[in-house]
Amino acid sequence: MSAFVQYTVQGLAAGGFYALAALGLAVIFGVLGVVNFSHGACYMLGAVAAAVLLDVLHVHFWVALVVVPVLLFLVGVLMERLLIRWLLRLDPLYNFLLTFGLSLILVDVVKRRYGVSGLPYERPSGLQGQLQVGGIGLPTYSVFVCLLSLLVCGLVWLLLTRTRMGMIVRASTEDADRTRALGINVGRWVTPVFGFGIALAGLAGVMAAPFRAITADMGGNFVIILFAVVVIGGLGSILGAVVAGFLVGLVEAYGQAYAPTFAQVAIFVLMAGVVLFRPAGLFGRDETE
Amino acid sequence: MTQHVKNSSSTLGTAELVTEEPDAEVRLPAGRRRSPVRWIMLAVGLVAALALPWFVYPPVAMDIAAWALFAISVDLLLGYTGVLSFGHAAFWGSSSYVTGLIAIHWGVPFPLAILGGMLFAMAIAVPIGYLSVRRTGIYFAMVTLAFAQMVYFVANQLSALTGGENGLQAIPKSFFGIDSVQTDPFFFYYAAIGLILLGIWAAWRIIHSPFGRVLVAIRDNPARARALGYNVDRYKIIVFVLSAGLAGLAGGVFAISHGFTSLQELDWTTSGKVVLITVLGGIGTLWGGPLGAAIVVSLEDRLTSSGFEGTDIILGSVFVVIVLLFRHGIWGTLADLVRRAVKARQDPGD
Amino acid sequence: MRSRKPAAVLAAAVCGSLALAGCAGGPSAAAGKLSDGKVVIGLLNDQSGVYKDLSGPNSKVAIQMAIDDYKAKYGAKAVAKTIEIVTADHQNKPDIANTKAQEMYDRQNADIILDVPTSSAALAVATVAKARKKLFIDVTAGTTALTGRSCNKYTYAWAYDTAMLAKGTGEAVVKNGGKSWSIVYPDYAFGQDMQKSFTAAVTGAGGTVQQSIATPFPNDNFATFITKAGSTTPQVVGIMAAGGDLINFVKQYNQAGMQSKAQLAVGLMFITDIHSLGVDQFAGTSFTDPWYWNLDAKNKTWADKFLAKTGTRPTFAHAGNYSAAMNYLEAVQGAGTDNADAVIKQLDGKKINDVFLRNGQIRSDHRVVHDVYLAKVKSKDQVTEPWDYEKIVATIPAADAFEPVSAACKM
Repeated sequence: MSAFVQYTVQGLAAGGFYALAALGLAVIFGVLGVVNFSHGACYMLGAVAAAVLLDVLHVHFWVALVVVPVLLFLVGVLMERLLIRWLLRLDPLYNFLLTFGLSLILVDVVKRRYGVSGLPYERPSGLQGQLQVGGIGLPTYSVFVCLLSLLVCGLVWLLLTRTRMGMIVRASTEDADRTRALGINVGRWVTPVFGFGIALAGLAGVMAAPFRAITADMGGNFVIILFAVVVIGGLGSILGAVVAGFLVGLVEAYGQAYAPTFAQVAIFVLMAGVVLFRPAGLFGRDETE
Repeated sequence: MTQHVKNSSSTLGTAELVTEEPDAEVRLPAGRRRSPVRWIMLAVGLVAALALPWFVYPPVAMDIAAWALFAISVDLLLGYTGVLSFGHAAFWGSSSYVTGLIAIHWGVPFPLAILGGMLFAMAIAVPIGYLSVRRTGIYFAMVTLAFAQMVYFVANQLSALTGGENGLQAIPKSFFGIDSVQTDPFFFYYAAIGLILLGIWAAWRIIHSPFGRVLVAIRDNPARARALGYNVDRYKIIVFVLSAGLAGLAGGVFAISHGFTSLQELDWTTSGKVVLITVLGGIGTLWGGPLGAAIVVSLEDRLTSSGFEGTDIILGSVFVVIVLLFRHGIWGTLADLVRRAVKARQDPGD
Repeated sequence: MRSRKPAAVLAAAVCGSLALAGCAGGPSAAAGKLSDGKVVIGLLNDQSGVYKDLSGPNSKVAIQMAIDDYKAKYGAKAVAKTIEIVTADHQNKPDIANTKAQEMYDRQNADIILDVPTSSAALAVATVAKARKKLFIDVTAGTTALTGRSCNKYTYAWAYDTAMLAKGTGEAVVKNGGKSWSIVYPDYAFGQDMQKSFTAAVTGAGGTVQQSIATPFPNDNFATFITKAGSTTPQVVGIMAAGGDLINFVKQYNQAGMQSKAQLAVGLMFITDIHSLGVDQFAGTSFTDPWYWNLDAKNKTWADKFLAKTGTRPTFAHAGNYSAAMNYLEAVQGAGTDNADAVIKQLDGKKINDVFLRNGQIRSDHRVVHDVYLAKVKSKDQVTEPWDYEKIVATIPAADAFEPVSAACKM
């Protein structure tokens, strides 16, 4: 039983990364209609930025948690202003291809600069060892990741439901035309929303830095799983992205614990199932058929 | 949903971007002379294909030919049907394995082995296509990507058969005992190029047929095609399977040429590379594939031989520029320029 | 009536090209001849990826050092007066290794290929070497198959193999008190081989393997597997992952607080892994190293020369490439030619004692047996200079270190 609890916590921790990044992906898609293939590369940039900041400026993990997302926000703004915006009026497949090309560049630039061996990173103080919760030993770090990702998702939810920007984001996600018809300048929010989505990917990256090898390739597989997450959750649904993210993390953890050989493909089988029986995703609205 | 997403419910909005006009072609009654320019281009292409191993290291020339057909198979879907498959490595790769296994275990002449690989690719394309066409646009791309991952996983799991991480080694080139073909890549090229040209010809026939016309109609306006009574999904599945067959043909040639295949041929980066080649060359044009393949394969060969690091930076940047500025691809953009020049010559008054 | 002109044009084009092709027999006629008057050494390894620091471009420096030493030794009597090095990057991919090896042998007239990390790549190159009848000395890949079922007379394994690692680390750790093990291994050929070898070594030395846990490959999230491994409270956790996966595992292992709960034994580890993750993350870990630069004065002298040329300390791969190149050139010298079969006659059975191989000998299966070392990673305060990470706990003599010749090898 205690093992099951441990696997659950670990699954929620892994899912936390997926949920945060998928949230960013969903928000970007909702407002811009862009499927950002470079989301994995941005996650990688977040981790690399944390490592570089530590090495060069001795910025520690707790500070990096705040600084790196801000940096990635700026990166996202740049991306949108310089590249993405030109293709917004076209089919989303063009921006999909554009961001694919961008991910090739970003990954290779990091490889050239930092190699592929992996950048060293500290073990953050206070997050080591295990917590005893009800007699079960849970890695402190996993609990932290769980809680922080839930917290951030909750904060984003508040943002979306309680602020004007959030309202506009949700309205554009549902129906951009009607939102514009109401006199709201959706275009004004495109750039900051894109930046925000990238910042979330970067946050996931920083959180992963002590936990995973920081290599240029770390985003490659990650983005493929992210796609599975958003298809399962429903591409237009923000709630769906978060729920599916945690769900996929749990599937991964349970799969690895109880049926390791199938763990890798379980997520894609789940995705195939969703496509078959509920094409719009668990929370999606099927307007595009 | 935003307007952009509504567009994706149709198919890839390439309608306005495709420069070939197969409709105009197909309306010609049989027997009518085709433009001499076309014949000249065909002749030049043929000569280029046959002369290639003289100018390029023969195994690399074979790679160019194989990737060219692979790109054409993707373009069949992307340029002519308007659907982007981002998992086509599943067919290229699985055929390469089946071809290799047939060649190793049964020692038949390689064209037969390749035929086997091709049929296998088409066979798995049926369920994959059936499930994937339930989604359109960007969803279709992501779903095909996921299915390709599953094929990768299965191949990895069956490592006793496929060699797993080590890949499938020592695939023989068996060709009726003709030693020069079996040992010298130069002569092997000439033995194998026929298969590639056959595949390209098949793609051409598919496009310039009533079936191909329906595909273009689906690309341009699927709702209208459906209203006209065409079973859009069934057409999509059929062309998906045909495209998988061509990708399988190319993959089989690749495996025999290298004498080796590995999980890399099933990897999503391979799916990404062929899409890159197709878009770079020019979607909706049959020449785009060979052109894109020639550029990318030679570029990669040149860069890796010279020890240059950062091949992907170059490729990625070129790709980004193409997608941003030259969405017709290189061939398409050139064709545009020629078209405009010809028009300017014809109607100087405009 | 359809015009015949287009068909005629096509036919002419086809005939023309075929005629061209028929003449002169094609440009590849020159391929396959040995490069007379010069020896070309091919270096095929990972120049940009995870093993770049382990071997990479610096191996070219090591080989050049061998060439210089060879020329200094023989002077005017040197058989190989012109020696070139050609390099290529295989990116740890067997398909690229396959292609590049063929290119090196055919296009660049390489007489021998050295190095080739990553077992799958090495196996691909061995197949090509056999087909082209040219030499291949593997330094950095560890698969036992190279001298097992995939052995051939043109292929040599110079430095180590996975069986040796298992015997070394497994036995030594058990003898030092680590009797109960949990083994975590990546579920592919290499990982499976390592798991089998380690299980045999541990049980052979009197220990027990409580569980063997398979993980997907590649993988970056080991949390559940670490929990599983710790659940039986073993004395030792043996991890068989390598490269990036190993880094991931160790990070998460320490993150989970396991460092204090169980000893970590690593199946395949390189000094570059310690460097990349940091000494403190690996402190106390046991592993087997084919060579260590700071072992004794002889090694250190060579390492100083290497440091002067590259700015970093050599790994076993660098020293191994030096040794392989040097011995190859000596064999060419002895044979008077770079013809592969003649060189092989010189190499077979040779006993070697150089900076890399102590009590070394080339066996009938073309595996080079030699003394290897059981190392323990120092703690941060014990490190006196960069790369001074290892404490050599024991020397495992050549006779004990390697498995005997495999029956699967039929040359």
